[in-house]
Amino acid sequence: MSKLEIKNLSFSYDGSNKVIDDISFSVPKGSFVSVLGHNGSGKSTLAKLIVGLLEKNSGTIYFNGEEVTKDNIQNFQNKVSLIFQNPDNQFIGSTVEDDIAFGLENRCFPHEKMQEEIERFAESVGMLDYLKKEPIALSGGQKQRVALAGALILRPEILILDEATSMLDPKGKSTVRKWLKRIHRENKELTIFSITHDIDEALLSDKVLILSKGKLIKEGKPQDVLRDEEALLAVKLDMPFVYKLEKELAGIGINSNADNVDQLVEDIWASK
Amino acid sequence: MSTMTFGRYSFRDTFVHRLDARNKIFLTLLFMVGIFFQFNKWSTSLILSGIYIVVLLILMLISRVSLIALLKSLGGLWVLVIFLMAIYIFIPTNNPKLPVAFTIGTLEVHWDAICQSGYIIMRLVLMISLTMILTSTTKPMDMTYAFEWYMTPLKPIHFPVHEIAMTLSIALRFIPTLLDETERIMKAQASRGVDFNHGGIFKRFGAIIALIIPLFVSALERSEELANAMIVRGYDPKAKRTRYRLLKFSWRDLIAFLFIGLMFAGIIVLFVFDRTGEPIDIINFFFKVKGF
Repeated sequence: MSKLEIKNLSFSYDGSNKVIDDISFSVPKGSFVSVLGHNGSGKSTLAKLIVGLLEKNSGTIYFNGEEVTKDNIQNFQNKVSLIFQNPDNQFIGSTVEDDIAFGLENRCFPHEKMQEEIERFAESVGMLDYLKKEPIALSGGQKQRVALAGALILRPEILILDEATSMLDPKGKSTVRKWLKRIHRENKELTIFSITHDIDEALLSDKVLILSKGKLIKEGKPQDVLRDEEALLAVKLDMPFVYKLEKELAGIGINSNADNVDQLVEDIWASK
Repeated sequence: MSTMTFGRYSFRDTFVHRLDARNKIFLTLLFMVGIFFQFNKWSTSLILSGIYIVVLLILMLISRVSLIALLKSLGGLWVLVIFLMAIYIFIPTNNPKLPVAFTIGTLEVHWDAICQSGYIIMRLVLMISLTMILTSTTKPMDMTYAFEWYMTPLKPIHFPVHEIAMTLSIALRFIPTLLDETERIMKAQASRGVDFNHGGIFKRFGAIIALIIPLFVSALERSEELANAMIVRGYDPKAKRTRYRLLKFSWRDLIAFLFIGLMFAGIIVLFVFDRTGEPIDIINFFFKVKGF
């Protein structure tokens, strides 16, 4: 069963230029789906439409097979979390613990159980030692991990990442990804919907969607979609390093179908 | 901008830090009101000032607030100090109790004027120091909770108590972020040739515009993103919420309350004596200084 299904979704800010143009796709339960696209392709708008920050012009959203309507949107929104791009602008509390607690406070979570819950989720992103720290004392990557804990503490069924790692330095990027992978491994029920323009991140997902000018132009397994150089170039994206290398190697007679560098190295050794 | 240390909260585990924010705000105000009582006899004022300063120093010692940081931040006050001095010296004193200190032309300047200006300056310094102790030992978040608590009686008349407290706490949370941003924009504009430090008032004003506009644009963008982040995490200003931080009145608060309360009561008693009965004249009693 698909967790989230979008049918013929359209949206425009001004009524004439469609930012999201008749998009349909489905996100399987427990999967990691990446949405690729260049700046202005409508990626972030899509995320905002799904969580209800923007109101769609037309189309339907199905959650657990049920249509999301005005009557049940509250329940749907309680099950969806969104993490934004800028680490600073989503840090609401004055310290790490306050920020993680923010969502709990809004849900009227009992005060007596908060401390335990906060510590548990801070630990799940490796921020337990930073509970009393203020945002100014944290790196971008640490702030995003706090945002992750603040989102996960609400026990969402779908976690949407809107370029959550794009403003981070390489080290911050890799730590956030590392914790994200761990979270997904430990919580198989959680569906992750990641909006990115990082092709290497997309390579690790179960399904890739490519957006261009508000239209869904390609959809499928990363192994298939990301090998299509022409489609990628059309949206100004580059093929992943592994696939580019494979293409060059094919030219000198080494054939490989690997999806990661380690596998590729194995194939090169085997070809001799 | 990291030099902006005046009254910024710093985490330490001291007696004062652990006090309930509501209590701290109340006691700070009580202390300030006490400072502002005016006595007939200079001797009483002088002795009380000494007591205030000693209490303040003890408070700073307990709360481990740096005296050097305080003095540094008071350094900017000298313009005000000179201004106050000048006003008190050039305005003739009504019924002086003390002899003439010196004369400027026909204007007789009494010691009263000098004492009065000194007294005012001392009060000012005490007020600032107290505020600084309050803000550097209280988490901004706790402070807003305390304000919210004090404003609760206004809720029945639909005064947006919670909204104001939340706005305040977010404003406080974003001060360091926006200061960083200011510094970044200043550097970026300086690298494009904007000169913030030289030139006449109009030139500088132009330079400030090159700072203010980008700062406002970015602050507005931030606020929109922040609002979105809050909505996504289920915030509704009208809805009922629970609290992670609860303010608790503990035995420490009782001790602090009794201490400052007794001091305040002492000031009141002295004041009543000073106004109604025979003025207490401690200095005259010990040192026989006529009229002081």
